Amino acid sequence: MKETVIELQHLKKYYGLVRGIENVSLKIQKGEIYGFIGPNGAGKSTTIRTILGLLNKTSGTIIINDKKIDCEDLPLKEKIGYLPSEIHLYDDMKVKDILDYHALFYKTDCSKKRKELVKLLKIDEKRSIEELSLGNLKKVGIVLALMHSPEILILDEPTSGLDPIMQKVFHDLLLEEKNKGTTILYSSHVLSEVASICDKVGFIKEGKIIKEDLIENIRKYNYTYLKISSPDIQKIKEDLKLKVVNENNNEVTFLNDLDTNTIIKKLSKYDISKLLIEEISLEDLFLNYYK
Amino acid sequence: MFLVVYLIYPYIITDEAMKSIDEMMEIFPPEVLKAFNMDMSSISTAYGWFKTEGFTFVLLVIGFYVSLLGGNILLKEESDKTIEYLGVLPIKRSRIVLNKIFVGIFYALLIVLLLGLFNYVALSITGEFNHKEFILLSLTPIFIGLPFFCLNLFISTFLRKTKKIIGVSLGIVFISYVFSVLSELSSKVEFLKYFSLYTLADTRNVISATALNPWMIIISLGISTLFIIGSLVRYSQKEFI
Repeated sequence: MKETVIELQHLKKYYGLVRGIENVSLKIQKGEIYGFIGPNGAGKSTTIRTILGLLNKTSGTIIINDKKIDCEDLPLKEKIGYLPSEIHLYDDMKVKDILDYHALFYKTDCSKKRKELVKLLKIDEKRSIEELSLGNLKKVGIVLALMHSPEILILDEPTSGLDPIMQKVFHDLLLEEKNKGTTILYSSHVLSEVASICDKVGFIKEGKIIKEDLIENIRKYNYTYLKISSPDIQKIKEDLKLKVVNENNNEVTFLNDLDTNTIIKKLSKYDISKLLIEEISLEDLFLNYYK
Repeated sequence: MFLVVYLIYPYIITDEAMKSIDEMMEIFPPEVLKAFNMDMSSISTAYGWFKTEGFTFVLLVIGFYVSLLGGNILLKEESDKTIEYLGVLPIKRSRIVLNKIFVGIFYALLIVLLLGLFNYVALSITGEFNHKEFILLSLTPIFIGLPFFCLNLFISTFLRKTKKIIGVSLGIVFISYVFSVLSELSSKVEFLKYFSLYTLADTRNVISATALNPWMIIISLGISTLFIIGSLVRYSQKEFI
């Protein structure tokens, strides 16, 4: 069994009386890419910032590399690379200067990795930070997160601002890091993105993890949209006990996880004027968790 | 303003003009003259003006500068959100605070030195003056500058945006100065001097005894140390939202 690198136990963070996260528990194994999915305000960034020590937890436990994290831990910080959703750097510095400055804080020799990343991401080190577009700033952020070869990568909406080509380059880079044994927490609100790269996914809603599963299992979910028009629609709703996605007079769309034979058997006793069974995309499945 | 004064002072202060100034000064109550050290020094020379009105401006300028510096030096990281970068680097928060204090004090000493040098050169051109007294006088802003810097640094640890600290920093200096002047004007409100950091400059002692008041240095360093400790404690617990 693989070792657990990041473990959160009932992590709670309140901003005064306002809920940040309510009860977040998760485990991320070594070399795993964990997709952290949720809409804006669900608590993804709060969870990440609490792990990083930028916020103080209200209660719960953070365990990293089998060690409870309660105060500043410099050796641990050495092992973490962080890419925030919005990059804020010192505007008056040049890219070269910020990369040099960053390297000073780490015991690891960052020069080789830095060179590779700058070349791969096509970064012009002579430009000043304030001249950079959002995408280029993100690329500098990627170099800063990776150049000290961290064992743990924490990425908050990492592809926002990157063009599709650069997104592909970035994902390939993450897979390379994963193969080297880097553990990655990948926060996003785009399920297709998470599905394409992550091993496991946790859905967060209103500060709580509402579902967690391996991405291969999520792909196997046999969900369909079931659209039924019938004068007996109320009875059908009570009988099927499925989640209603849309309702319009006598026509109702259900989120269905029953197999087709069972559905047909159940519906055979009703007067059905229209029946439609549709495939459901991962994105739609994700959206249905949050309705 | 200082340059203008230094350039024209030797030409406008004639014996006749001085007599008129002395007559004018007699109109002011002694308390008012005391508030600006005019009871101890004549403004018949550029150096005399410097020791009285001029040095008040020096103390105010340095007070405003170091207060804004102290209020902004840490808080700017949060206001500009660069703390999200700095905060995850393998560096202790206490080191961030101490390095910022070190840089801040360097800048505070630099402005004291630059103003001192400027006035020294300009006064040397305008005429004779007491060099020892001038040097000691020029050191006194350090004893108000340090606590002003550290007090504002401490207050900034309770805030998140630099725009909120600007008014606070300027207000503290202004109120402190007003308290200092008022405490000289009437014995009834003399207690206000205990609430003013400007008391720590104690320029009257330098002018009367040509010496720095060691108690003021000790109190200045003590207050600064307390606020530095407070800032370190506050910053170590601060959340970067």
